[in-house]
Amino acid sequence: MDEQKTEQAEPNRISKVPIIGYIVLFLGIIFFSGIFTDVKGIEAAFDFNAINGAFGKIKEGGSFLGIDGTGAKNGFMFAITLVPPTMLSLGVVAVIEHLGGLRAAQRILTPLLQPLMGLPGVVGLALVSSTQSTDAGAGMTKMLREQNLITEEQRTVFVAFQFSAGAAIGNFLSTGIALFAFSTVPIIFPLCLIMVLKVVGANLMRLYIRKVVKLEEL
Amino acid sequence: MKKENVMDAFTRGAKEGWDVGIYSMLPNVLMAFVLIEFLKLLGILAILGKVFAPVMIVFGLPGESIMVLVSSFLSMGGGVGVVTSLVTSGILNEHQVTILLPAIFLMGSLMQYMGRCLGTSGVQTRFYPVMFAICFINAIVAMFIMKIFS
Repeated sequence: MDEQKTEQAEPNRISKVPIIGYIVLFLGIIFFSGIFTDVKGIEAAFDFNAINGAFGKIKEGGSFLGIDGTGAKNGFMFAITLVPPTMLSLGVVAVIEHLGGLRAAQRILTPLLQPLMGLPGVVGLALVSSTQSTDAGAGMTKMLREQNLITEEQRTVFVAFQFSAGAAIGNFLSTGIALFAFSTVPIIFPLCLIMVLKVVGANLMRLYIRKVVKLEEL
Repeated sequence: MKKENVMDAFTRGAKEGWDVGIYSMLPNVLMAFVLIEFLKLLGILAILGKVFAPVMIVFGLPGESIMVLVSSFLSMGGGVGVVTSLVTSGILNEHQVTILLPAIFLMGSLMQYMGRCLGTSGVQTRFYPVMFAICFINAIVAMFIMKIFS
């Protein structure tokens, strides 16, 4: 009962996450992870690259891009090849969001915020949103500070997390798609590294504030 | 209003993907291809390659890849575009793209995000230099780590 009361006291509390939320979050991670890339069999149905498919070949060894294109025309044709994966990717992200996957992520992450970055659970929603949209994350952070739900130090540390690789997941799964085909490692690896380094960056800011800036100055 | 079902959610996301693809990625990629073609024709790309070779070799990258980092700083899309252009020119191979991949995002679009992230969140301006430094450190660390695993 007490727990319920505390939850209600928080303006950004997480509403109940249905089990399907956790399932789609898990499936979503598998789908974008690339661990089933090059796997033949039914696993391929859960692989982004397999579902994204391939353009038909126009001539042996070449797609509609042709060979040896240059300049703006080549850039244009190449950019066209990026549209289907971007549509697929953001479509799947919207489905994950629709089925409660993002709320599940928020619920899983909230207890980790204090040990990882010294941030209170109340920033959970802003944090999950910031991985999709820089503007949403920054706007929510300002609001949290104005409502005195986070301290000046926490705001600074939290913004350091958001600033490096802004909207990391959103950008990686849209803009980054152009490079997935070249990656020699499963694409979940660089994405995880980005998320880990964001947390490291936030802690560098924490260290800087503690060592260089006097806390009472904040 | 009709309640959104799973299909609606997918098509809503796919429409968003169309907008991103056509209005953001296409101009960025085209700009990057034009920039690289321009630098190549002027012979500047080759000079950049030579000048920055000793620095970029540390990360297992050719000197020309400095262009990827510079354009990432301005926009992530630009950085990705420059990579693809350098791949089609035969300057970057798959391993080198993999090394660059996380760095493009970690120090990506900082010029834009200075306003949209630092400005909007209302963080004190005296922290701006440290914020930028953290992004560069993150990118450098990422390239070292990716060099090992690529």
